[in-house]
Amino acid sequence: MLNHASPMPSAKIMVIFWSLLCGMLTLNTSHAENYHAHIDAISIQAINHDYCLSAQVNYALSPKALEALQNGVALYWTIRIKLVTPRAWLWDETITELNLGYRLQYHALLNMYRVKNENSLGQQNYSSLTTALASMAKLDNLPIIKTDVANASDILVKLKVEFEREALPLPLRPVAYLSPSWSLSSEWFTWPLVK
Amino acid sequence: MAASKITFPVNAYVIVLFGFILLSLQLMSSATQESSELGEIYSWLLLINALGSVILLGLVGANIVALTRQLKKREAGSKLTIRMMSLFVVLALAPASIVFYFSMQFLHQSIDSWFNVEIDRAMKDALELSQASLDQRMRWHLKQTQQLAAQLETTAPELLSLEIENLRVLSDANEIAVFSDPGKILASSSTNPSDILPSLPDENSWLQLRQNKDYVALAPVHENELMIRVITVIKTSKPQYLQALYPVPVRIADLADSVEFAFVRYQEMNFLRHSLKLSFTLALCLVLLMSLLAAIWVAFISIRHIIAPVKTLVKGTQAVASGHYGQQLPVIAQDDLGFLVESFNDMTQRIAKARTESRLAGLEIENQRAYLETILSNLTAGVISFDVNFKIRTANQAAYRIFRIQVNQFIGHTLLQLAAISTELAEPLVSIQSLIEQADDIWEQRIAFLGHSGRQELLCRGTPLYSQDGLRVGAVVVFDDVTDLIQAQKNAAWGEVARRLAHEIKNPLTPIQLSAERLQHKLADKLEPTDAAILERSTKTIVQQVEAMKEMVDDFSEYAKPSKKQSVAIDLATLVQEVLALYALKSDVEFKTYFEPGLLPINGDPVSIRQVLHNLIKNALEAIESKGVIGIDLHRMQKNNAEFIEIWLTDDGPGIKEEHIEKIFEPYVTTKAKGTGLGLAIVKKIIEEHGGAIRVDVNRKTGAGFILQLPAIHAQSQHS
Repeated sequence: MLNHASPMPSAKIMVIFWSLLCGMLTLNTSHAENYHAHIDAISIQAINHDYCLSAQVNYALSPKALEALQNGVALYWTIRIKLVTPRAWLWDETITELNLGYRLQYHALLNMYRVKNENSLGQQNYSSLTTALASMAKLDNLPIIKTDVANASDILVKLKVEFEREALPLPLRPVAYLSPSWSLSSEWFTWPLVK
Repeated sequence: MAASKITFPVNAYVIVLFGFILLSLQLMSSATQESSELGEIYSWLLLINALGSVILLGLVGANIVALTRQLKKREAGSKLTIRMMSLFVVLALAPASIVFYFSMQFLHQSIDSWFNVEIDRAMKDALELSQASLDQRMRWHLKQTQQLAAQLETTAPELLSLEIENLRVLSDANEIAVFSDPGKILASSSTNPSDILPSLPDENSWLQLRQNKDYVALAPVHENELMIRVITVIKTSKPQYLQALYPVPVRIADLADSVEFAFVRYQEMNFLRHSLKLSFTLALCLVLLMSLLAAIWVAFISIRHIIAPVKTLVKGTQAVASGHYGQQLPVIAQDDLGFLVESFNDMTQRIAKARTESRLAGLEIENQRAYLETILSNLTAGVISFDVNFKIRTANQAAYRIFRIQVNQFIGHTLLQLAAISTELAEPLVSIQSLIEQADDIWEQRIAFLGHSGRQELLCRGTPLYSQDGLRVGAVVVFDDVTDLIQAQKNAAWGEVARRLAHEIKNPLTPIQLSAERLQHKLADKLEPTDAAILERSTKTIVQQVEAMKEMVDDFSEYAKPSKKQSVAIDLATLVQEVLALYALKSDVEFKTYFEPGLLPINGDPVSIRQVLHNLIKNALEAIESKGVIGIDLHRMQKNNAEFIEIWLTDDGPGIKEEHIEKIFEPYVTTKAKGTGLGLAIVKKIIEEHGGAIRVDVNRKTGAGFILQLPAIHAQSQHS
């Protein structure tokens, strides 16, 4: 079940502000290692009356994020999917927007990693981090728009994996905005919806 | 009286802003609490407070820049503001810094005290104990499952379902299932009859099973519910797998969960220790920064309000210093500064009033002084005042007229310095200087000197000046040229003498002459020729001398008789040429004449003027002994705003001796063997009767020279 969430301008402003501040404070760390998530592959195909999205996400964890995870801090990602119509002189018009939330946490007692789908509330335990991340990485034939709606105009599918800094424990938030170790989000990945 | 009004130094906007700042800081403080719902907006609060700090920093910076500009421009009150601000910042910063330092110390130490090695070890041990307990149970269940698998090795496939049902009941398992090699379910039994499908192991479990032959793991089935999943191989011809799910007792699960929760919480806190310190430090810094900046900003506003009357006062004082005595300042508040402003206003009012009065008094004095100066400058008598050092302080116009020196230009100098530039006046000036220096009382003295126009006589009166304290403060000398007056007196006296002489002497002369002629007539025939000759010579001598005496008496009579001259317009140049024509036969005398072009008219008696010219030319001829050069020069000149015709009559004779110059125009003064000494006296008398003047040219080095000045008339009046 998909959650058709509204945009989060406040979070954007926060990210922009802290990014600027971070940029100013960490100019000398521009050469630091990149821990952004990547979208490796994307495909859209029409199945029945829906266009379905399949994608492969590659998550990366910085040593700091890994340390936080090992020490019981839950990490949250949201896969944001936007369908937009490009406009010549204005910003793109958003047709629909879907958010898929994941929560990754380490259980010390079981020595397992638990992945919880924030949309379906289902959870799975994995004995290794790799398998846990792999479980969050794959989007398989996710219906994103009805074919009859999509035929109306040219549509771009935009995909982004966003690391939720605001879900981190409170003392860690300012550091997360300032440190590149916590820049775990991906860039927007744009893909045309071929009809 | 102005109504007293109390105003706060800060307005409502400042108070509202302060309220917002405090609210924001309070919210941020609350957000750091563990259970606070404000945690979600913690970053926003941090951002708002950071922006607030930036805005406050901007406000403070703008105020500092404005203050620096004021200081550069040396604006009133800027230095005082700087001092007060510096004092305030030091006073505010010092305790705030101390509190901040110790708060930071306390904060760091408090956070560090939460964690220590013993607790860390205890937490790890507790977790390990939980894991050991669960491991033991898992091993036991593995052994139990292996035994069950051994029992199933010989069980026929059709009886498998029944058998596992029995085994499940015997082993207290929640679920037992048998899978074929690829994972196909062969049989299953569950305590929950609704569970149609058994819980399937994941790929990782299968992988581990293939590697180790056995698989045992804790599996959280539902929230806070643990199960032990055991999978083992049933050794049959075709490999089969037995999976059993054993429940973990609720108590043990709860305890393990509690231990895990505490451990994770402790680990998380331990991990976040530095972040927590950083977060609290950040919050504390923001609180301190905002508080200080807000305080400094409000201090700027407050000090500006406090300084405002002082600035106004300083500006007012500067205005008064630059001469704007009517400066009035607005009284903003009825406090001490307001009282000061009121006093300032009173003071400026009084200064303005006093200044007006002083100006009026000055004007009055100036008017009086101008009046006195006018009187002094119009006096015919010269007036020179001296200071205590006998240096010239003032001199009127008459002083210049008499001395022919601009005495005004020598103010601050003594008369001796004045004497140094004028040799002619040296003697009288030195005399006056010595008199004013020596005299203690009023003095009067006649001083004679040889001026430009001949001998001049001054009547000087000096008065030493004393202050009310009896101290000598200077002197004043009043002097008048009495030359003409004395000359007139002398002339009158000589006239009287001449008139009497003419009257007393002329009367007996005719009887004497007649008697002598009668003696000659009566006795000539009766005497011997020798005696007759003696008588004749004597009689002739008597007659001749009587004639001579008659002529002399006539001259006296002429000199003494009052003027009964006609007054007609004469062209002086023509008259001089007519007179000179009479001397044209004198071949040894050269007359050098110069007549200024145009008419040179005067009003006068032609006969008298001819007599003047004759007398002077005769004198000159006698002086040069009828052989030499006589010069006559006629030109116009200005004197005392009146036009004169000036006649210069010179010769190249022996000249006039200096001792004779002073008295040469007096009667009976002559240098000739023959002569009555009345020629020049008559000349002077005629000239003065015509309103003119005559003087000896004292500057002439060779021969004698006379300068005659006669009032000129305009050509039009001559025609009329």
